[in-house]
Amino acid sequence: MLMSFEKPIQILVAEDDEDDKLLILKAFERTLPKEKVTCVEDGEALLKYLKRTPPYDDLEKYPKPDIILLDLNMPRKDGREALAEIKSIDELKSIPVIIFTTSNSVDDIQTTYKMGSSSFITKPGSFEELVKVTEEIENYWSKTVLLPG
Amino acid sequence: MNKKESRRRILSGNKFPHLGKYQMKNEQNPSIRQVKIYSIVTLILIVIGSGVSYWTAGRIEYYTDGVMHTSDVLQRTDELYSSILERETNIRGYVLTSNEEFLTNYNQSNVNAELLLIQLQALTIDNTLQQNNIEELRGLINSRVRTFEASIEYMKEHGDLVGFLDPNKINNALSGYTLIKDVVLRINDVENGLFQQKNQSLINNIYALPFIVGLISIFSITIGLMTFFSIYQFNKAQLAANKEITLFQQKLRDQIKLLDDSNKELEQFAYVASHDLQEPLRKITAFSDLLKEQYDGKLEGEGDLYLSRITAAAVRMRRLITDLLEYSRAGRIENEKVKSVKLSKVIAEMLEDFEIAIQDKSAKIAVGKLPKVIGSETEYRQVFQNLISNSLKFSKPSVNPEISITSEQASEELINSYPNLDSSANYYLIKVSDNGIGFEKTHVDRIFSIFQRLHGKKEYEGTGIGLSITKKIIEKNGGVIFAESSVGKGSVFNIILPYIKP
Repeated sequence: MLMSFEKPIQILVAEDDEDDKLLILKAFERTLPKEKVTCVEDGEALLKYLKRTPPYDDLEKYPKPDIILLDLNMPRKDGREALAEIKSIDELKSIPVIIFTTSNSVDDIQTTYKMGSSSFITKPGSFEELVKVTEEIENYWSKTVLLPG
Repeated sequence: MNKKESRRRILSGNKFPHLGKYQMKNEQNPSIRQVKIYSIVTLILIVIGSGVSYWTAGRIEYYTDGVMHTSDVLQRTDELYSSILERETNIRGYVLTSNEEFLTNYNQSNVNAELLLIQLQALTIDNTLQQNNIEELRGLINSRVRTFEASIEYMKEHGDLVGFLDPNKINNALSGYTLIKDVVLRINDVENGLFQQKNQSLINNIYALPFIVGLISIFSITIGLMTFFSIYQFNKAQLAANKEITLFQQKLRDQIKLLDDSNKELEQFAYVASHDLQEPLRKITAFSDLLKEQYDGKLEGEGDLYLSRITAAAVRMRRLITDLLEYSRAGRIENEKVKSVKLSKVIAEMLEDFEIAIQDKSAKIAVGKLPKVIGSETEYRQVFQNLISNSLKFSKPSVNPEISITSEQASEELINSYPNLDSSANYYLIKVSDNGIGFEKTHVDRIFSIFQRLHGKKEYEGTGIGLSITKKIIEKNGGVIFAESSVGKGSVFNIILPYIKP
């Protein structure tokens, strides 16, 4: 249930796998309206989206995200590269980036935090757990914390 | 294979074309025993040779002494004979010339003669016959001397020998010399006879002795050479054997490297396979869940049943993959730095994690004094976690589980029964015993195999990988784990780990 005075967050998901994309969207549907979650298929698309490069200059279709859910292993430009780029651009670097990946390697965890990600979540195995995670993400970022403007 | 063929192969360096069928050709090469025998025989021959030489030298010395002795006697008898003649000559000379010098010479000769006689007597003191002969000689010489003295007296009185000499005196003189000569010859004969007697055998065999010594020497030298040769052969054989060993060691090393590489590959494969298998499995699980959510109860016929079976199978597969991943990770060296671990600490921490389960089952866990061992804390925690969790899981339904963990010194007998343990080193024996349901003795090895379960999925949960991981960890740290149990009588898990100095 959404509280009327709370603004639901806008989430941008960068995920190349079709199935995972479907599952994530389905999970978030429990707590967020469909239009609050947008998806891009890789790092390149992600940067284009954030920089408002066409076709991502349509603000209605592609609203500005409050948080980014970033997969690490993507073609063309992977999550690590994208993260580095985002954190180097003034206008973009304050958007919280949550790494959402299959990897659980210590190396990845350490590197991404060092690069400025907000958190690191390993994709859960079952749908039930996925729903829990998305609920927690939504809860945390829209209710518990305050976001930059 | 005969000697020739064997030697040819040794020289060609191609003794062992099939290392698998390798057999050291001991019969062809001299053993250390042969070398010893040769050496001893050589030594004995040398000793015998030396002995014979020494004895021969002794005999030759004896012989030489004999020769010297005989020569001394003969020389003196000759000198005595010459001396009497000399005196005759001197007397004549004096008589003819009245030169006093002849008299001096004559007197000197007398003295010398007496000396010679005394020497002769001394030389033949052990022979009565010779002593008598010498006395006779002395008598005869003295009788001539008396005649000489008489003639000197006469000369001094009358100035010449006219009227002194008569046919009697002349005859006496002649016979006297003959008699003296006879005695002298007799003495010589006796002396020679004695010499012959004493040295007859030696004289007979005088040429045999050097021959015998020569023979022994040749024999010794030959055996000596044979000894050297057999030592040389033996050495060569040793070197060849060493070369073989080195070759073998190298082959062994190569095999170990191959195995090592293969192992690493397998581990790598297991890890990657498990990891990559998880991805589609995730999807199966997730979509099955979604399906269940949206269509629970709405599917016709047995759709619900099929769906729940799919979900259950997927869940189980996920567990299997996770366990397999864990198994492939266990025993990897990079996992944590290896150090000295206090088992008592590890178990205390582990028991804290199990507090709830322990309370639930009202279990009693007794922990004795536990040693320090080498390894990683995480892995030892895993080991005891597995064992305690099993003990709790497989407890008798109506009986409170009682588990004890004790440690003692492993007996030599026990250590020797496991060939991969170092029989010269010390080991701890750690026992984890429980009063659970136990298992049949026949399964005592099977329980440590991957995914081997003794019970159905419905009776007890778990994939059956716990004990395989435990075993892998223990063996990686140079130890051994084995179990003892019987149905209904609980189980004892025995862990042998190397001792480290505290």
